[in-house]
Amino acid sequence: MDTETEKIVRNRVAELLNEDVEAFVVFVRKETEPRERITVIKGPEEAEKVALSPLSVNNTARVLLEVVNNFDGKVGVVAKGCDSKAIKGLISEGKIEREKIHIIGISCPGIVDYRKLIAFSPEDVIFEDGKLIIKPGDKEIPLEEVIHDNCRYCRSPSPVIYDEIYGKAREPFDGTDDDEIEKLPADERWKYWIDVFEKCIRCYACRSACPMCYCTECLVDPVNLAISPMSTAEEKAAYPRFLGKTVTPADNLFYHLIRVFHHAGRCADCGECERACPMDIPLRKLERKLQKEIKEIFGYEDEDIPFLAKLDIIPEGR
Amino acid sequence: MLVYEGDFLKTVASKLMKEGCRVYAPSEIAYTEINHDSQISDVKPKKSVKEFLFPQNEVLIGYGDWIEKVPLNRERRAVVGVKPCDARAIKLLDRIFLEGFEDPYYRARRENTIIISSSCEPDAYCFCESFSSPFSEEGADIFVSRIDGISFVKAVSEKGKEVLKGFESDLRNPTDQEIEKFRNEEERVRGLFRRSVEAEIQEKMKEKFDSEIWKEIAIGCVGCGTCTFLCPTCFCFDMLDEGEKKGIRYRAWDSCQFPLYTLESSSHNPRREKWQRLRNRFYDKFLYMVESKGNVFCVGCGRCISECPAGVDIVEVLQEVSR
Repeated sequence: MDTETEKIVRNRVAELLNEDVEAFVVFVRKETEPRERITVIKGPEEAEKVALSPLSVNNTARVLLEVVNNFDGKVGVVAKGCDSKAIKGLISEGKIEREKIHIIGISCPGIVDYRKLIAFSPEDVIFEDGKLIIKPGDKEIPLEEVIHDNCRYCRSPSPVIYDEIYGKAREPFDGTDDDEIEKLPADERWKYWIDVFEKCIRCYACRSACPMCYCTECLVDPVNLAISPMSTAEEKAAYPRFLGKTVTPADNLFYHLIRVFHHAGRCADCGECERACPMDIPLRKLERKLQKEIKEIFGYEDEDIPFLAKLDIIPEGR
Repeated sequence: MLVYEGDFLKTVASKLMKEGCRVYAPSEIAYTEINHDSQISDVKPKKSVKEFLFPQNEVLIGYGDWIEKVPLNRERRAVVGVKPCDARAIKLLDRIFLEGFEDPYYRARRENTIIISSSCEPDAYCFCESFSSPFSEEGADIFVSRIDGISFVKAVSEKGKEVLKGFESDLRNPTDQEIEKFRNEEERVRGLFRRSVEAEIQEKMKEKFDSEIWKEIAIGCVGCGTCTFLCPTCFCFDMLDEGEKKGIRYRAWDSCQFPLYTLESSSHNPRREKWQRLRNRFYDKFLYMVESKGNVFCVGCGRCISECPAGVDIVEVLQEVSR
């Protein structure tokens, strides 16, 4: 994901948009801070603004899912390792058709915590040879110093599904994923999580940023469950409210546990939830723990069929 | 403006704590309670000061057969080291909660909360300079500016004057050099801003309502409520009942970024699409509130930029509008 890879990707996006790809989900640089954001481009002439660097932090799968059906033709997407994991998951769950998309896979060196770079202006931050170079002065910052913590645990920095692939990936993490929190006695763990969830303001950024949280009806704000044109006044008054708007540690815990349980065997490990959280809640700890449990108890890890589908199959086969 | 030799924030915080007043000061996440003056930091908390007057959840009535209680919070509290942008936002919230219909819950908290603001330096996201100044005293009860070991102190409200009683012997008029020093410092800090917006953008906004830019900007937006919940001037709330025969009616922050916010009983939703909801945030702050109240409802704290998961940036958006 150095400037060289960025150039290749930019050219390929332009070429593909000239061919059978109608739109492309790509990163573009922000003008006011060293950070990139996702957008959708439609013409090859727009490809010159395509950016790709360790500042390409967000997961493109979420936007891909949102826009893919707005186009008749193929939609292209630039996907890092975790983005491709999410795309693969969305395909296996029947949300995206494989034939409908073209994936430019990016072997990823890891992404940076852009908040550590806000002191610099966007045009002064360049990524080359595994290092961030800050102009002026050509000050070098090793990527490892500013890398997002989540990337240190990344098991698939290289894309798991792609049509073409570029870039140089970091070494995948292959250690056991134990968190200190797990070693604490139950009452201390409880206290830790209650303290953490006390901070939650229930803005739902973690849910909204997650590429796998695609339900059109979420239990926290059911739109159609609440009201349909056929609803009677009584139904409207008594619509199911699974969770109120009370922002207490108990209700926040309820929300977060349900959210994370819905990701059993599905999490793409991208870390969007934790990055999105304005209150710095360590949400990845929950996701990683759940993933470990799913592996230990059910022997399931990154397979081609969804986790719940596999659970259905097991009794029949035995 | 008067001069205090030393750090007046610490002195006033200690005195208020001795009097039994709960004192809060900036920390990374929010303005949190302190029990010693050494805990006062200069950071800009992620949550603004609005929750002291307009908490995320607030019980309005307790009910049974009839209204059983109306709890008004009259606890005396002081927030010290409030950022001038946050203090200014209180002045804007006053216009919402106290003009015309007076909100008794807000009024009770407002009367019993002492806001002691402190001038500050901008970070990479700040743009309060576009509306006011990091040396603005608006919305505060007492304004403090600490420069080179001395504090410039000004009682802004009656409540503030009350607090300063007892400090008369420690406060003196500034010398000409000190006034000069204050002006120079203000000048220096004003030069540090990296972002600015055009506040008088209303005519342009009227033209751009149907522009395609809103759909483009909304592509990255995840549709969460972070920007509105962290915004010091966003004041929308929803009212809910908990308990069928006996329970509480409470209000909770709501956000125009959520689809449920505008969902009508007929199932029609006037802001069905994410881009319409995103557009509303900018129009509300920079057009509708100007039309109804005469103020832009943005104070330039930059929280909606720094905390946006998708990099949606109010400064870039407004630049796009004025193009």
